[in-house]
Amino acid sequence: MRLSSLRPRRIGREALLLALVAVVVIPFYMIAVNSFKDVNEAARFRLTLPSDWRFDNFKEVFSGGKIVKGYFNSALISLGALVVTNLFASLASYSIQRNNNRLTNFLYYFFIVGLVMPVSLVPTIKLLMGLGIHNTYQGMILYYSAVLLPFTIFLMTGYMKTLPRELDESGIIDGCGPLRLFFSIALPLMQPVIVTASLLTIVSVWNDFMGPFYLLTDGDKWTVTVSVYNYVGRYSSDWNLIFADILVVILPVLILYFLLQEYIVEGMTAGAMKG
Amino acid sequence: MKRHVRYPLYFIAPAFAVYFALFVFPALSGFAYSFTDWSAYSEETKWIGLDNYRQLFSEGVLGLAIKNTLLYALVVTIFVNLFGLILALLLNRNSRLGKFYRTSFYTPVVIAPLIVGYLFTAIYNPEQGILNEALRFFGLGRFAVDWLNDSRYALFSIMLTELWRSSGFAMVIYLAGLKTIPQDLLEQASVDGAGAFRKFRNVTFPLLAPSFTVNLLLTVINSLKVFETVLVLTNGGPGYDTEVFNTLIFRNFSRGNWGYATASGLVLTIIVSVIAVTFLRILRKREVEL
Repeated sequence: MRLSSLRPRRIGREALLLALVAVVVIPFYMIAVNSFKDVNEAARFRLTLPSDWRFDNFKEVFSGGKIVKGYFNSALISLGALVVTNLFASLASYSIQRNNNRLTNFLYYFFIVGLVMPVSLVPTIKLLMGLGIHNTYQGMILYYSAVLLPFTIFLMTGYMKTLPRELDESGIIDGCGPLRLFFSIALPLMQPVIVTASLLTIVSVWNDFMGPFYLLTDGDKWTVTVSVYNYVGRYSSDWNLIFADILVVILPVLILYFLLQEYIVEGMTAGAMKG
Repeated sequence: MKRHVRYPLYFIAPAFAVYFALFVFPALSGFAYSFTDWSAYSEETKWIGLDNYRQLFSEGVLGLAIKNTLLYALVVTIFVNLFGLILALLLNRNSRLGKFYRTSFYTPVVIAPLIVGYLFTAIYNPEQGILNEALRFFGLGRFAVDWLNDSRYALFSIMLTELWRSSGFAMVIYLAGLKTIPQDLLEQASVDGAGAFRKFRNVTFPLLAPSFTVNLLLTVINSLKVFETVLVLTNGGPGYDTEVFNTLIFRNFSRGNWGYATASGLVLTIIVSVIAVTFLRILRKREVEL
């Protein structure tokens, strides 16, 4: 170890960073440790280990099947939205970036406006009813696709800039039509940005509350995050169950994040910087 | 050589159709609905002109919601960016634990804001919550207040929650910006005798301009749209002391006054667009091209 790395300034910096890590991590630890306590002990929010480990809390959370149903709904809706956004956004970004003319630039900014504007949820209810897809999975998939397309197009157009046109030439020489050119040359090269966009879609749908809260009146279609809202409404003072419920809901996202964070973090910043 | 259409415009059509139908159209139809008495209580919807807006502006809650939302957005934007920048500067040197720190600080960003709200309901609990326990432990017991039910602190507590939640997001964008700054520029500045502060002010800060633009814009816009944390932590209370736009819209919506809720939504849309456009104008001007 180099001597300079032991200087007090450096030690001070590491201590500060570790203290800040504690500020982030302790709340998560609080959730985990309290989810195994009994009602009275959990209500004290202590960071001590449970005096009696109650694994039954989780049995209680899963009973009634609301959580499993929520998992299923979140998975189904995010997968649907993932397919629609990735396919439509990659096609659109490809044409927007490669053409790069007045019309496509205008369309690009038209999509980007959707990054800034708030969603008009109340009129969306009326629209979904009019289309006959209110309270359906298709309705939610289309809603999320519309909401997530602007960011995905933003991300993918930025990424397309890094793929030189020369790469397209090989396909053009082979006489590919536009569709084959896209699917056999461009799409495989876009794989990293597709992974990023997919992860962001999954996390956004999983974490979103406003969409299903306004748009779904049918409890059978609720995603996990809405199920937490209802769970807390029902068990407002049973913090052990609330913490257990929260733990069960955030765990999949946390696992996904820890495994694939390079894609999530770097993909997002890359998109944000290149735009 | 014959020119083929290699990149046809119809590739944009599917995305455009979905986006237009489910994002743009509701916004436009919302504009129309805001002039009607569309509600849960009657089958028919009548045109009532500016009545919704007249009522909205005379009710007084709108003024409070505007004030709270803007104050919230201002404070959150300043401090999220300040914290994010400080974290990024701390992590920019190569440290063995760099990745561990970055992973930790970004973790709250991937948690649903609704759940962050519940988490902080527990943390802010006046008697047993870990915030007050920690304050008492460090001998700062007199700062252990009722964070959410005291109107002096309620909005502040929501801001603090957002700082915890999204500083990590600003951090990663600043980190990415710092990586683009050429090392030799900083070395040259050192050779010229610039200290750490002058190097930051004259080299790092101006070259970070694109990251500032992105970060400030994203934080302002997201904080104007704040909803879940407020809903869970205070539900706009005590009184209307923490009422923000989205809680106001939701309140009107759940009362069944849909036309009225849409009108409140439109006011938010207008404020967001004005602020976003102004921000972009100002920030783009001072960006330095590398």
